[in-house]
Formats: sequence, C-alpha cells, structure tokens
Amino acid sequence: MTMFLTKDQEEMLSGVKGEAVAKSMELIVKIGEVYKADRLIPITNAQVAGVSYLTVGDSIFSFFELLSKDAVTVKVPTWLNPAGMDMEKWREMEISEDFAEKQFRIIKFYEGLGINPTLTCAPYLIGHTPTHGDHLAWSESSAVSMANSFYGARTNREGAPSSLASAITGLTANYGLHITENRYPRILVDVRTKLESFSDYSALGYWFGKKFHSLIPYFVNIQSLNINEAKMLAAALAASGSVALFHVKDLTPESKSIDIENVEEKIEFTESNKKEVYNHFNQITEGADLVAIGCPHASYEDIKLISNTLQSRQMKKDIEFWIFTSSKTKAVIDADSLLTNLESRGIKVYADTCMVVSPSVSGNFRNVITNSTKAAHYLSKAKTTLVNLLPIDSIMKEVTE
Amino acid sequence: MEIGIRPIVEGKVTGSVLLSPSPISFLGDIDSKTGKIIDSESPIYGKNLKDTIFVFPRGRGSTVGSYIIYGLKVNDVSPLALVAEEAETIVIAGAILADIPLVDLPDKDLFSILETGDIVTIDTSEKILKIQKRKE
Repeated sequence: MTMFLTKDQEEMLSGVKGEAVAKSMELIVKIGEVYKADRLIPITNAQVAGVSYLTVGDSIFSFFELLSKDAVTVKVPTWLNPAGMDMEKWREMEISEDFAEKQFRIIKFYEGLGINPTLTCAPYLIGHTPTHGDHLAWSESSAVSMANSFYGARTNREGAPSSLASAITGLTANYGLHITENRYPRILVDVRTKLESFSDYSALGYWFGKKFHSLIPYFVNIQSLNINEAKMLAAALAASGSVALFHVKDLTPESKSIDIENVEEKIEFTESNKKEVYNHFNQITEGADLVAIGCPHASYEDIKLISNTLQSRQMKKDIEFWIFTSSKTKAVIDADSLLTNLESRGIKVYADTCMVVSPSVSGNFRNVITNSTKAAHYLSKAKTTLVNLLPIDSIMKEVTE
Repeated sequence: MEIGIRPIVEGKVTGSVLLSPSPISFLGDIDSKTGKIIDSESPIYGKNLKDTIFVFPRGRGSTVGSYIIYGLKVNDVSPLALVAEEAETIVIAGAILADIPLVDLPDKDLFSILETGDIVTIDTSEKILKIQKRKE
C-alpha cells in the first residue's frame, strides 16, 4: 500500500529540500507504510530521546555527520530527554572528562538543530503541557504514556530517530494511537487494594505491564490520580511492558467518552499482587549505599514532600541520597531555599540526568533504594546492582536519624 | 526454494545466513565497532554480523538501537541485509538510515527452514528470498 503524500511532502522526500530532510521523510513514510498509515499528519511538538552518551555511544556522531550535510533545523518546538550527567555538577558525580566532552558535543549538536535542551523525561512538569487532541511525536516512554493518558494528546511510542525525523519535518504517519479506534481499552482492571504512596502506583503499573505487555488498560476503583501519581503509574506501565496509553475511570480525560464495549477481559489487582512487586524488588541483603529518587524526574511537590518528611532529621552516615530532576525545577527549589535545606542535611539534587541513563549510579553503587519500579527494573538489569523498592516515608525513616 | 517476503528497504544481495533464534536488542547485544554479538546469553554469541544475511525474529529493547545499526554501516561491519519475521520501528529506522536492505513477513517459517551458513539471495524487486546453496 502506498500512502497519500501532498506535493510538498513528495518534494521533501525526493531530496529537493536536502538530504537530511529526505532521509527524515523516508523514515517516516516507510514506518507509515509498514503500519498501513493512509497519510502524514502535522505534529504540534516533539520530544527526542537519544541524548545520554551512555546509551547512544559513538554511533551517534556518524549519524550527526549525515544530518550535518544540510543546514537543517526543527520545524516544531522540540525538547530533549535526559543526558548522562548533570551538566554543571558532572565532576561531583565522578563522570570522566572523556564522557563529559562527548556529552557536551551531543547536546551542542541538538541545540544547533534548534532543539531546546530541557534534558528531562518529564517536559509536562516544566510548562510543556500537551493539549487534549494534539498530535505529537514523543519518544520517552513514560512521557508518551503521560501525554496520551493524562492529557489526552496523541502520540505513538516513537523511537529516537523517528521522533527526530518528525521534529525536522513537522510530520508523523497517521497510525496507531493517532487514530481514535486504537485508543479503546482492551482490559478492565479492578483495583481492589488502596494506592497509598507513589510507589504503590508504580507497583500497579509494573504488575500490569509485566503481565499484559502492551494492552490498553481501563482502571476502576482508583480514588486519586494527581500528576505525580500518574507519572509513576505511566512510567512503570511503559517499563515492564510497552503500554503507551491507560485510562482511569472518571480521572483521565478520555475515560468518559471512550467505548468500553470491546473490553474482553476483567481482572483484579489485589493486595497480594501489590506485595509481589515489593517482594520482587527486595533484593538488598547488606546495607544500602544509595537512595535514588526521581524516576520520572522529581516535581516540585515530590521534592517538597521529601523535605517535609525530613523535619529536623539528618542523613545517616555511609549512605548517599540523590534526587534527580530537571534544571528548571532545580532552579525553582533553589529560589525558595528548599535546595539549601536538603543539601544541609546531606541530600544531593542532580539535574539533567537520572539513575537509569547516567553511568555514575550503576557504576559506583551496589545497593540502591528507590520508590520507582522503572528505576528498580533498569538498575537490577545491570546485574551488578541490587535494589529495594519502598515508599518515600519508609525510605526516610530508614536512612535518616 | 523460494520464500515470499515483504520489502521495506530495497536491494538485491547474495550472502551467507547468520540466524538468531531469539529477538535482538541492537543496543547492548552488538558491538557497533566490530559487528560482534556480545550478549553472552545469545545462542550466536561471538559471531560477527559483517557481510551476512542476518535473520532474526524481531528487534527489542531501546530505540537507540537504530543508531547502532547505522554505526555498523559507518564502521564497515554491517550485514548485507536484514531479514525479520516482523520488523518494528527500531529495525526499520536503522535500516533506512544505514541503507541496508530490509525485508520481513516471510510466507514460510524461516527458523525451521534456514540455518546459519546457508547461501541465500534476497531480491526486493521480485519480493523473494531464494536459497542458493545449503550449508556444507
């Protein structure tokens, strides 16, 4: 099947507008053909992965050379995923000079394309909020799920190159989650246990994704879904499975209008299912050496909660506490003295990176406590690291005195 | 024997099959500098992708894998062609960037028919994969 292209799009594909545009178009069109798209549609904005030097390696530089053949820039507002280090405090994170030099080069290249170096997996926390019904090309899996589920925008789970190709052309192929019928839920999940912490939301997502891979769930009996709860659920669903959209009865924008006629299966999430997840991530046998919070990136409220729970307590010796967030959120907590308070108790806040994409966590710590199943999942995959999953209040009790 | 396929990235090449029975994460499983399979749990651990017809069920893992496929090409250690049971965006994007012929949806079960070392020709204009010579 060949999809319909406008005259302008045909020209972009043929190379009239340069090789970089042509390659980008070819990529979008070919992917569209494989997934039987009828046409290309304009996107409002893009979010691009493929930033941390830890994950992209040296291959990225050859790809940049290809794109450099023309003076190409992005056509829509575009944001970047986290890097492999805090762009200011990388030395403190024990990042090597060589790694840092390459990381700076990568970001400089993206900036040259006109991309905003937000270096966050959660652009929606710093003002880049998707609008209901907008078509986007986002690639960070947790952000994709938030954009679709919490905001009712429409994006497939784009790859690093395809999101960049969409940013350059301003277009994506019309298939998958861009189409209303593909957004209906397939399975109803009755949540029979209370979700009392962010890590409980994370546990629910991890359990579902592991069991049902990419099916779209419709959750009932969830009492609250604020942005911080939603991002933990979204990230977990997308990490253990590849769920890119979920609905929560009465609490997500599409839950009222969607058709639940086609739901084939009903299941329950019970207290014992929840415990299974915590038990799976209860791996540390000796003392923990790091607490890592901020997967997805911590919001202002997340950090405030940690600060409030601290009260007058201090961090125990022999354990580090790292919070990962965006540079923008870090600037906000710096302005209202939250940062000074945390730092004076021994808690470090790093921007632009996280425990999953920076070599400094898996490389330097063996036993890590976190409240995120996504972080736990990826850290324990690197077989040198053991993880414990705990809610914030239990973590604070354990590591402070 | 001829097997029908769906062309995604065009080309006509003949070469020796390297078959991976398990899905491949290009990020992590393969060294883009040498073309070697470095995933110690892979059944084809230590084998090299260079100049092979690489047959595998599907891609998996990080979407950054597309850049690894491109890196194989730049480092001159890329396969001659990629044959997937079902291609997904990681492999499609990588093959397009690197301009490596890519086909999928074979009309017969490749994993029971082909063996590593068989010589095959892929011709996307004819939409076929043809077995030229069995492994000796």
